[in-house]
Amino acid sequence: MFEARNLTKRYGRLTALTDVSFSVRSGEVLGLIGPNGSGKTTLFECLGGVLPLDGGAVVRDGRPLTDRERAATVFYLPDAIAPWPAQSVRWAIDYTLGLFNGRADLRDEVIRRLDIQPFLDQAIGSLSKGQRKRALLAIGLLMPHPVLMADEPFDGLDLRQSRDVAQTLRSFASAGRTMFLSIHQIKDASRVCDRFVLLSGGRARGEGTIRELAALAASQPGAPAADDDLEEVFLALT
Amino acid sequence: MPSRRSAFLWLVRKEWRELVVSRSWWVLLLAIGPLVGVTFISAVRTYAEASGFGGTSAGVGEAFSPLIGIWAPTFSACEVAAVFLLPFVAIRQIAGDRQSGALKIELQHPMPAIARIGAKALVLLAAWGIASLAPAAAVVLWKSYGGSIYAPELATVALGHLLNAGLTIALAAATAAVTEHPSTAAILTLSVTVGTWILNFIAAVQGGIWERAAGYTPPAMVAGFQHGLIRLDVVLVTLVFVAAGFTLAAVWLRLGVGVRRRAYESVALGAVTAAIVSACSLATGSWDTSESRINSFSEADEEALERIQSPLSVEVHLAPEDPRRADLDHKAIAKLRRVLPKVQVRYVSATSIGLFEQTSPHYGEIWYEIAGRREMTRATTAESALQTIYQLSGVAPPVENDDATFRGHPLAVPPKGAAAVFYGIWPALVVAGAVFMHRRQT
Repeated sequence: MFEARNLTKRYGRLTALTDVSFSVRSGEVLGLIGPNGSGKTTLFECLGGVLPLDGGAVVRDGRPLTDRERAATVFYLPDAIAPWPAQSVRWAIDYTLGLFNGRADLRDEVIRRLDIQPFLDQAIGSLSKGQRKRALLAIGLLMPHPVLMADEPFDGLDLRQSRDVAQTLRSFASAGRTMFLSIHQIKDASRVCDRFVLLSGGRARGEGTIRELAALAASQPGAPAADDDLEEVFLALT
Repeated sequence: MPSRRSAFLWLVRKEWRELVVSRSWWVLLLAIGPLVGVTFISAVRTYAEASGFGGTSAGVGEAFSPLIGIWAPTFSACEVAAVFLLPFVAIRQIAGDRQSGALKIELQHPMPAIARIGAKALVLLAAWGIASLAPAAAVVLWKSYGGSIYAPELATVALGHLLNAGLTIALAAATAAVTEHPSTAAILTLSVTVGTWILNFIAAVQGGIWERAAGYTPPAMVAGFQHGLIRLDVVLVTLVFVAAGFTLAAVWLRLGVGVRRRAYESVALGAVTAAIVSACSLATGSWDTSESRINSFSEADEEALERIQSPLSVEVHLAPEDPRRADLDHKAIAKLRRVLPKVQVRYVSATSIGLFEQTSPHYGEIWYEIAGRREMTRATTAESALQTIYQLSGVAPPVENDDATFRGHPLAVPPKGAAAVFYGIWPALVVAGAVFMHRRQT
């Protein structure tokens, strides 16, 4: 789908991302995992065009994407936002569908799968964290962009809701949509993602399936053997 | 991707919905009714008293014009609202998206930033249009009293306040986009407003270039329109400032662009604005739409003055704060500038107040010069200026025509029903509207 090459982002003297490179493949669920402060949100905001990059490029077929091409490829769903707080969920969904010319044909299915119907007419500002998260995920899933980048899609959801959302995301990926999810709970990530990008200290420490990452961890000099447990792999590589 | 047109219309609809749930707008609407009411009722009472109502001598207000007696004070309530209430509505509309995180979603649509700001500006101007229903109600009441309405001068006053609102909205949009938090934007906007007051004060003391610059501040701009005067340079400069404000807002709303680049673009925008403003300030066209020709000499005098081909120089030995200078400026110089494009005025004074220059032998002198001939007078009236100019130029003064003199529209009626409209019906309608719109949307 595209490659991120040597992405670098600085806030003054602080370097938040240093030469981060990885690839995003069509139709996969890619997990961006890393501890708090590792640069996950910064990376997503840079890819989403919300923050400017200081270095590197997003490349497709060996050619850097223009801002317009990137904007047409990737939709970024930020975490911890409450957009249009006085407006109803129903209106927010219809508005974003209209603004972005989204997938109106999937509207009812997404509402049903994410169980949004009970609070469809409530103001976004009055929703609980979990309800808001599901409403925003609905918006993200209805966007026409081939890649959905969701920052912490399971944050605020209970166990059942997390499982349902994971199933929904997977089913959309099966239908050809690419999912790029930033997740700090490694258990959540291992349940839903096909591949992973490990981010720590603003650097990409590894990329691949759990097996590939386990092999990478095992190849590190002096590293303890890491089996197919993502948590162990993550600890070994970061 | 969606067509730009449909996306823009979606954005306009969204901005409208965001406006009608904004408490600041409803507060503006709630406040502007009583504000207009106070000024209108007071103006009508004063007008009536001067026209002979309530035992005062009839005839005092014969030369009264509704423009000066009614519309200028009534619409001044709009100026108060534009300065102290409208900025908060605009800042809320611009900064709200950033605060809620909606901007991060909307920015992903490849719509030009200026279009985003354009949608907000359109809705905010519509909001001001709705707020202007309060002075419109005053117009209806005045008409119902049998008051005279001269449409061109009334339209000029309304245009001045619309431009002032546009300026306020553009300034608030720029500060809301540049700063991270709405409260910072509010402080910055009010600081600019206070800055224009300081500029006016400095201009009154220092004169010269300060005086010229102060002529383009919102209070000076509105004052001109409230006297029925449309100056091309003022309109152009105001429009340039409005465009610059919205463009600056568009520059800073692009979060995905580096701060350094946005800063460079802002500096370039400032330079371009300064250049265009300088060019626009050279425009000399003006239109006096007042029924009483308050900004003009009589038509006969203007025809006579237009026959003078040589440039006119005026040397005024009066300090900036001397009231005689303001008198001369308003009654003669400003009117001369409108008829004679080649008027050069030079002010000479050693101090700003002129109090200690009174004993100076030349203080108070006003020298007129045409084609090498000079004449001095100390009078600051329009009649004196015209007489001197006719003498110097050799142009015969026109025959006085009493029929052309504005006789005024005295009206001795109380402001019947105005209190009920502005203190009762208006607030009730606003509250009902707020409740209705809130229930409709959520």
